[in-house]
Order: sequence, then structure tokens, then C-alpha cells
Amino acid sequence: MIFEQILLQIFHNFNQERTISAPFHLLKGKRSGQTIQDVGIYHLHKFFSILPKLSRPHYDEKLNSLIEEHYLIVHDEGSYELTDSAREFVKDGEKYYFNGWYYRGNEHIFFARLSLIVQSLSHHGAGRMSFTPIQKDDHIQHWVRQFLLINQYKEGNLQKTLLDEIVGSLESSKVEERAKSIVINRLAGFQTAGLTWQQISYQENLSEMDVQLIYISTLHSWITQISNHPEQYLLLNQLAKDIRVVIPLSGSAHQTAELFRKGYLIEEISHIRRLKVSTIEDHIVEIAMNDPDFSIEQFISKEDIKKVMTAVDDYNTRKLKILHEVVPHLSYFQIRLVLARGE
Amino acid sequence: MELEKVLQHHFGYTSFRPGQKEVIEQIVKGKDVIALLPTGMGKSLCYQLPGYIFNKPVLIISPLLSLMQDQVDQIKQLKEKRVVALNSFLNATQKKVTIQHLHQYRFIFISPEMLLQPQVQQKLNSMELSLIVVDEAHCISQWGFDFRPDYLRIGEVMDKANRPPILALSATATQKVLGDIESYLKMNEPFTFIHTVDRPNIHMGRVLFQNREEKLDWILEHVLETAGPGIIYTQSRSKTESISERLLQMGISTAAYHGGKDTLDRQFIQQQFIDGSLEWIVATNAFGMGVHKQNVRQIIHESIPSNVANYMQEIGRAGRDGKDALAILLFADGDDEFAKFVGIDDFPNEVHVDLYLEYRRRNESPSTMIQNGEISETAYRVLDYWMHQIHPNEVKHQLLTMKTDKIRAVEEVVNLIRTKSCMREKLVHYFGQNLMEKPSDCCECCGLDYHNIIQKRESFEQDETAVSWKKRLETILLGFS
Repeated sequence: MIFEQILLQIFHNFNQERTISAPFHLLKGKRSGQTIQDVGIYHLHKFFSILPKLSRPHYDEKLNSLIEEHYLIVHDEGSYELTDSAREFVKDGEKYYFNGWYYRGNEHIFFARLSLIVQSLSHHGAGRMSFTPIQKDDHIQHWVRQFLLINQYKEGNLQKTLLDEIVGSLESSKVEERAKSIVINRLAGFQTAGLTWQQISYQENLSEMDVQLIYISTLHSWITQISNHPEQYLLLNQLAKDIRVVIPLSGSAHQTAELFRKGYLIEEISHIRRLKVSTIEDHIVEIAMNDPDFSIEQFISKEDIKKVMTAVDDYNTRKLKILHEVVPHLSYFQIRLVLARGE
Repeated sequence: MELEKVLQHHFGYTSFRPGQKEVIEQIVKGKDVIALLPTGMGKSLCYQLPGYIFNKPVLIISPLLSLMQDQVDQIKQLKEKRVVALNSFLNATQKKVTIQHLHQYRFIFISPEMLLQPQVQQKLNSMELSLIVVDEAHCISQWGFDFRPDYLRIGEVMDKANRPPILALSATATQKVLGDIESYLKMNEPFTFIHTVDRPNIHMGRVLFQNREEKLDWILEHVLETAGPGIIYTQSRSKTESISERLLQMGISTAAYHGGKDTLDRQFIQQQFIDGSLEWIVATNAFGMGVHKQNVRQIIHESIPSNVANYMQEIGRAGRDGKDALAILLFADGDDEFAKFVGIDDFPNEVHVDLYLEYRRRNESPSTMIQNGEISETAYRVLDYWMHQIHPNEVKHQLLTMKTDKIRAVEEVVNLIRTKSCMREKLVHYFGQNLMEKPSDCCECCGLDYHNIIQKRESFEQDETAVSWKKRLETILLGFS
């Protein structure tokens, strides 16, 4: 259900201006210029890269069931439209918080750290320091070892402090109770196995996909809660370190950003980097989207920004071609900058 | 030297279990040894004890990373600190330091791929070893359970004039596999100790069906009425999911297990199965190795295994505690055709050989075939190995022979199922041994009443009251101190 709602919500935002595959690329977090720009243009930051392992057959299967249930009508030439019942249905799914753009799958690193720390502390409490670590990744194991040493686990107070922080931070997160259960059920300890996705799905009467979506959504809210109150959650805040992507720029856009900051013009950067002007413009759009301090007024006047925004509202579209017809004196690049910035 | 004294001093036992002393005596004399000992019969003591007689390191090559960690942990619990595992879990610095100090350890566990690395070989060449152990040696043979082409290269590495004795260990191997072990490891007239493969406490059932669909109903009824814990083996991932789903709906605590499950899920399932909270596992053949559970009472094969060695290995997971256990094979007409199809489906063929050559000719890495979806990873590993060993035309021939052999292997399983004499006798013969004695309720052919072997299922009320997340977390963190 939740997955279907998210899909419809994405289709809704795309406003029939993108192909039927666009939501798939978005959910998988495809690092292509088109997908990245769509995130900004259609305000889809939430859903970017929340399901990196989604398979095409699975996606198509869900799409077909949406069509069968008359939420989605697909026309022969590949365009589609949402039905009225879809618009109702979408509202239900909006309660789930996602922040895919900033976490990009790193929430799994946060949880891996947490799960190994909890497993270690549980065994330490039971006086059993030899056990098979539940997380196999070297970096995670190394990180957790350092964490335990720095926080002096041998003194034996860490269990209680960590418990208080987890309970406190989860209680102040705006997440339903069952979502908290799902996350905690994935933890294991001494003589306590965690629950598998299949078991949780059976217990909660949800599909495995939905359980995993709730899990990801809960981690996103939880980590945000922790990061917003670093002084309250001293331990958890260490776990949340480097989990949020600071400036999520692609490598190439990053280089362009550096040169631009040094004062080079678009044409000069194009020359230096031996890339097409249009590519450098793509980068600038990406920067505008990601860096709130980046002023787009160096490329387009306040007045023109207003004109574009009015056109978006009047014609209810974010299609460049149509907007360009309304404000023909502006370049596509300028229009995209405005769209990237949103409001 | 009295071996019993060493045993008592380092391990605290007063006597050896069958086979251990014979094997160790030969090793101490410097002979190569192949030992087939069933799981749980103290295989590891066969190399641990010599470790205290020789004052040089013992090198143990082991294919399974999880198993390796288990073994290291076990040795550490015997207060032995000079033990190390050299595998891909180590980071670059750890690896470098470990290799540098390798000669200081008493027991060195190593994975085959690590063994093949130049810096490891260089170090090994510069030091003296007392013994080389090849654990799960059947993996070296295409005909053994769980073939690993990497293992074939061990022989190349170990081929030195003054090498120490080699000890090859396995739980199950046919004559053919034994031959492969001896020749691929280039062993020198090895002493062979074979414990009987027969497991008298495992009783062998068989049920025939007209068509495949009837099996599911049979399973549901059987599982509802008889007691586990048990494992249901089936062929495909999707089947593990669908069967387990049905069992769950009937209130039987069950989990599906296959190679596609995420790593946390797999560990949770193993742990729950061992601690008794799961009654049944529905699994592909990915489940089993390294799972130490003593009281498995039933094994059900929903689809037929691809060869007799796999069958033996899989039913061998029952009754490790020595108490009675039941293994039932379900067979419907057409199952054999399906098993043959699955067996050769994931196997390289002539077209792949040509493709491989084509990539080479274009100076591209042939492994690109995997990314391009032209071959599966498993099939590629087999192909790649042979392309490095023999001429391409011979490879085609070789693959064809292997394919025919695979089909024959399925037919051998079918013969075992279709036999009208004794299934146990047939199974033991297959491993080149003779059956000395038949237990009562021996097998479906000799007469077998399931009720003599397994209990009725007590439908115990599952504790449905889910604990709150706070309570659960508190128990994990504070409950055991």
C-alpha cells in the first residue's frame, strides 16, 4: 500500500510531464543529470534513492496493479494520467517522512553501527565477550570498536545511557508506535535474535516492501531528530556522524563549483574543462538546487524570476517548452535555474 | 610419544573418538592423510593435536568464512592465543601485520583466495609449516557437495618438493571425489581413513506422487501433525517463500531461507532455529553448512537434490544428537526431468566458450560476459577455470562430458528413490561402502512407520502478546547483566 501511494505521489508531482520510468530512476537514485534535475524541478527530494535495490520487474508489477485498480490510466503513446480515486489514495501516504536526498542510503550505515553496538553491549552485560558479530563489514566493525573504547564501555554504564537516549529520542520523534517496533525488532543481542522482514511483515500484516519503507522512513525521522538535538543525545549523535550528505553534488559538478567559486565564467570553465557549455550549465543548475546560499540572481533578474513563477502557476506546468513560449526572452538555462530553486 | 597424554593435557579428554588416533599417528609419521569423518565426530582435533606436537605452524585452508570464524573462536576458548584467520574480513593494515607475523602463530586459518595472493605465498615460502589441512576437501571436486573452483588451485600452490604432509578432511565423499581430492592436491600415497557414511539413526522415507501439486498438501498436513524441528529443502527461492507463507498461515513458526535474503535475516533465522523459536525452515541448498543444531528431527525434500552427495549432506543435518530422525523424499513423475534441466541450465556450454574467445580477441576482459548478462556468475567461474587449464576445443569437450555426468548424477538420485530393495544399502554403496547392519524402521522399502521415529506435534500456543519496543530494547541492553 505505502509503496503504491509513494509511486502515485511521484506520478502526481511529475504532472504527466515525465515518462512512466521516471519514478523508477528516482527511487533507485540514478545519478543522471535528468533524474537529478527532476528532483529539483518537481520537488521530489524526499523519494530520491530510497530504494536502491528496487528491481525493474518488481516496479513493473506494482505499476500494473495500479493500472488494474484504476488508479492510473496509461495511454498507448506512453503518457499517463491519475484518476480521482488515486488523488484520494495519495493523501494517506503523505504521513510518512522521507529525506532521501540528504541520507542517500546512509541511514543503513547508522543502523549497522547501532545494531553492532547494541549486540556488543548486550553480550558484554552478560559477561560474554566472544560472539559472532552480526555486522560483517570491516568499516562498521572498526568504527564500533573505536566507539566502544572512546565511550569506555568497560565501566558498564554505557548500556543504560544508550537505552535512555534511544528511548528518549524515539519518543520525541513524530513516528507511529508500530514503526518504532519495526526498527527495534531488527536489533539483536545476547540470546535474542532479531525478527526477519518476513516475520515482521506477517506480524504487522503489511507487505515486506512496506515494512522496509516504514523502516527507512523511521530511520530518516529518527536521525533528523538526533541531529537536531546533538546536546541531548551525545552517544547517538556520534552514530549519526557523516550520515547526512553535506553538499550532494556529483563529482563533476563539484569541480565546476570549485572553478565557479574562483571567479571563472561559464564559458571559461567550459574551455578549461573541455566540456560543452550546456554541461556546465547543468552543473550550475545542480549547484543552485543544492546550495541555498548560491544566488541565481547573477544569471536572471528578480523581475524575470517572478515572471517564470507566474507562468508556472498560470499554466500549471513545469514543462520547459511551454514556459519558454510564455517567456521567450529568457533562455532555457535561466528557466531551469528558477525551477531548480523552487519557491 | 604418548598421544593420550597430549590429548589430556591440551584438551582435557582421556580417550580418542573413532578415527582420531589412527589419523593423527599417520600425520605424526609425516604421511599424507585423507580422513572422512562425519560432522560432530571431532574432525578438528585431528589437526589441533598435531599442532602441539610439532613446533611449527599448522596451515588450515577453509572455504567458508563463517565456519572459519567459528573454528577460531573454538580454539580461542581452549586458551590458545596463537591462532589467526587470514581472510577478506581483514583490512589492508591488519592484513599486512598478520602476514608479517604469520610464522609466530600455531594455527593459521586461510581462505583459498587469500592463499593465492602473491604476498601470502611469498611469506609462506619463507617459513616452515608442520602440516597443511584442507578442510571441506570435497569442495575441490565437481562431484562433491558445493564445488568451488578456487579450491582447484590449492594443488598448484602446494606442489613443492619438501612440503609438509597434507591432511584432507571431509564429511562425505564418494570414490570419485576421493580420487579427485588425491589427484588435485597431488597427495603422495595418502593414508585414507573412512568412517562409515551410514547414519543408523536417520530413517529414510519416500513418498511418490502423481503430480507435483499434491506435494504441498501433503507437506501442510504432515507438518501440522508431526513434530519438528525440521528443514524442508526445495529448488527455488520463490518456492521457499510460498511454502513458508502457507505454513505461517497455519500458525507454524517457519522461515524461508535462501541466498537472496539479506545478511541480517539469514543470521536471525539461524539463531532462531538454534534457540528453538523456529520449528521449520524452508530452504534452498544454501542453508546448512556451518549451522550447528543438534536436535533436527526431520528433513523433507520437496524437490530432488541434484546428486547423491548433496542428498547425503542434507539429510546428515538431522539427528546430530544421535537420537532418531526422519528424512523423507517427495517425488513426482517429471521431477527428474526438472532437476536435470536446473542442473545444466546454470552450466557453461559451447556458445560461452566461443564468446569467451571473442572477448579475449577484442582484448576485453571475458568477465564482462557476466555484466552483459550472457552468463551467470557460477557458470563463468567454471568456464574461466577450464579456459586457463586446457585448450578451448578441449574445454568444449570437457563441458560436454561434465554435462552428461550431471545428468547421470540426477539419474543416480532417481535410482535411489525408485529402488525396491533397501534405500540405505543403496546410499552406502554409492559411497563405495558396505552396509553392516540395518536398524529397525530402516527405510521406506524395508518397512518404516513414521510414528516410531517422530513425535506428534504438540500445538503449543505461541506467545502472541508482542512485547513493546521499549521493553524489548531494555531486555537486550540490561536484561543479562
